[in-house]
Amino acid sequence: MKLLSSYLKEMKIAARGFYFYIEIAMAVILLAILLFAVSETSTGGGKQFVYYDMPQKIAEYLRDRSIDRGEARLADPTHFKLNPAEFEITNEETGETTAYRFNDGKTVVLETVEMIDTSTGELEETVYEVETEEDLLRLSYAEREIGVTIVMDPRGKVSNKYYLQGYETDRLKNLFYILQNESREAVNAKKDRQVVRTLEVTETLNNRQNLVPIFIAYMGSLMGFFIVMAYIFYDKAEGVIRAFAVTPSSIWKYLTSKILVILTTVVVSSSIITIPVMGGQPNYLLFYVFLVVTTFALASLGLLVASFFENISKAFGVMYGIMISLMIPGFSYYLPSFDPLWIRFFPSYPLLQGFKEIMLNGDAGYVLIYSLVFLAGGLALFLLADVRFKKTLTV
Amino acid sequence: MLKKLFIVFKKDSLIARRDAMVTYIMVIPLVLALGITLFAPGLNDTSVKLAMLRSDDVEHIEYMEQFARVELFDTLDDLENRVQKRDDTAAIVPSGRSYEIILQGNELETMEDYVVLLNTFYELGATKEETTAQLLTFGRTVPPLKTMLVNVLILMTIMLAGMLIAISIVEEKAENTINAINVTPISQTEFVVGKSLFGGTVAMIGIIGALLITGYLGINWFMIILVGVTSMILSLVVGFLQGLSSEDIMEAAGSVKLMFLPIAGSIAVYEFVSDNWQWTMYWSPFYWAYKANTAILSMTADWGTVLFSTAMVFGLSFAVYLISLPKIRKGLS
Repeated sequence: MKLLSSYLKEMKIAARGFYFYIEIAMAVILLAILLFAVSETSTGGGKQFVYYDMPQKIAEYLRDRSIDRGEARLADPTHFKLNPAEFEITNEETGETTAYRFNDGKTVVLETVEMIDTSTGELEETVYEVETEEDLLRLSYAEREIGVTIVMDPRGKVSNKYYLQGYETDRLKNLFYILQNESREAVNAKKDRQVVRTLEVTETLNNRQNLVPIFIAYMGSLMGFFIVMAYIFYDKAEGVIRAFAVTPSSIWKYLTSKILVILTTVVVSSSIITIPVMGGQPNYLLFYVFLVVTTFALASLGLLVASFFENISKAFGVMYGIMISLMIPGFSYYLPSFDPLWIRFFPSYPLLQGFKEIMLNGDAGYVLIYSLVFLAGGLALFLLADVRFKKTLTV
Repeated sequence: MLKKLFIVFKKDSLIARRDAMVTYIMVIPLVLALGITLFAPGLNDTSVKLAMLRSDDVEHIEYMEQFARVELFDTLDDLENRVQKRDDTAAIVPSGRSYEIILQGNELETMEDYVVLLNTFYELGATKEETTAQLLTFGRTVPPLKTMLVNVLILMTIMLAGMLIAISIVEEKAENTINAINVTPISQTEFVVGKSLFGGTVAMIGIIGALLITGYLGINWFMIILVGVTSMILSLVVGFLQGLSSEDIMEAAGSVKLMFLPIAGSIAVYEFVSDNWQWTMYWSPFYWAYKANTAILSMTADWGTVLFSTAMVFGLSFAVYLISLPKIRKGLS
């Protein structure tokens, strides 16, 4: 009963301040960004500059053939500004280096061809056709994109010269070496005969849905860590915590009421983002269970950290350090091939993967196991925080 | 005037040293820079991961190792278990007289294409030795992902300075020391500039240290400092505004959270949105700062572009300052 009255009192105070409304406004802004600024399909950000070192008619024939096959489409010509530049180019095999210096600046207008995936119709890459090899070098250098000169010898044999930046891995360079060894027809015929077996029938999230776990985890659960600390320091400054020493209410009830306010805010703001974007796809029971236990665990961590410091300025280093380190698994989420063992030990790794599984309506076992882990960890942190606050009351 | 500015600067340095604020603003970027230096190589090497059977043809395994990170397994069960793990790993196993590609089913499409292409080339007998391709490089060693992370770090440090000013003002308000400014010979402008000077100087030292740690020694330092100082103006103005308009630490925390939006939006639009939609962030000074920093860190910046971006940052920041000046004055009164 005391807990309920503490919670209701805290909610009344929160509703009087701006913070609660900032949270709601933030969720609405993020929802608007997801719905109106992020497309469901990938935007195909790859760029390539190409110079055809062959008669114009053959170059046009090659382009038209790709368009006829449905592999490419013409887009509006693109303007590029070329600035004076100075650089060196090294031949990877011979080690020979050539220096280039361009003193003039100019603007070039390039034919733009969008390469598309024939099966899905999605944009794969944008190719800009350059009129001279010099411009190709300058553009590839300035835009930090791959440049290719496609050379046709008098006997009609085609070979490629790739201009790379230099930081590409050896494995990628090896691929460039073999890409043009066989005829396109032979490659396509052999490719079509490859046998691919998938072990599971799994759904994938589209470009827009893929952002929801990030927003929920970072703007919801992780922010609970930061906000609960702000609440505690506010009360410390106001002397509220000290006042608990002379009231019949216990410290744990006070701490729980703070967490409940955070939970209410996070549940409301996360629902605003999730429901309109994901519709009926996720398992909402699991979603709310996971959201509540992860927010509880991270808010408990915030309470424990706050118990060691007098004010937010003094706690800032630890708080900022923890928040930044909890963001690191975001790299693994976005680059699935970057998944070293050490990154899995950050609590935000299962946090992100758990929300992803929920959005996919996938591995419920994984979500439940980590719900228990977060619950157990959260309870342990909460108990420690309670002991700390009881012992110190202020610091 | 300068003497008074120096007094505020010195006072803030002393208070901050007591609260370890200087340490935070300076040390946090340095620690993050160390982290970027350690993680960037791993992030750049996003080579496809392949699982293969140890009993497979040695020549086949060696061929694949040229293009992918290969992990070997004794049994098909072990291999399939590996494929089913959370990261993206594909497998190629012998199947009759040919090979079979095994996927979990949720991998990126580009990865499936890559593995299919690799096996196609192997079956066609394509080798590096008989290539007609030539590779030429510009000799760059810093991957774009590292540049992006360092650029984000610069903006975060600039924002950190603003955040700390906001927090210190809220605390001064709580302790009623801010009103005392009005009965000292220091004017409100001198107080604002003095406090900003301190936050700005410390943050710039943090940024320079972070750039040295991450190895950006050859960049144009005049350009980076110019962009850093101008974008700092905005962060400091916003910090003051947040600090003065927030009644308590909770409101300041909420405002800080809101500040993430234009920063994250500017980075996301610059990096991931097509050229046709870049204009949507032209209103954000962080967009121009990020754009200029990218060119400077990539060593492709020219003075025209940098000065234009700096002018945009300065103009937009000054506009924010002018709009918020009455509020700052009111807050200090």
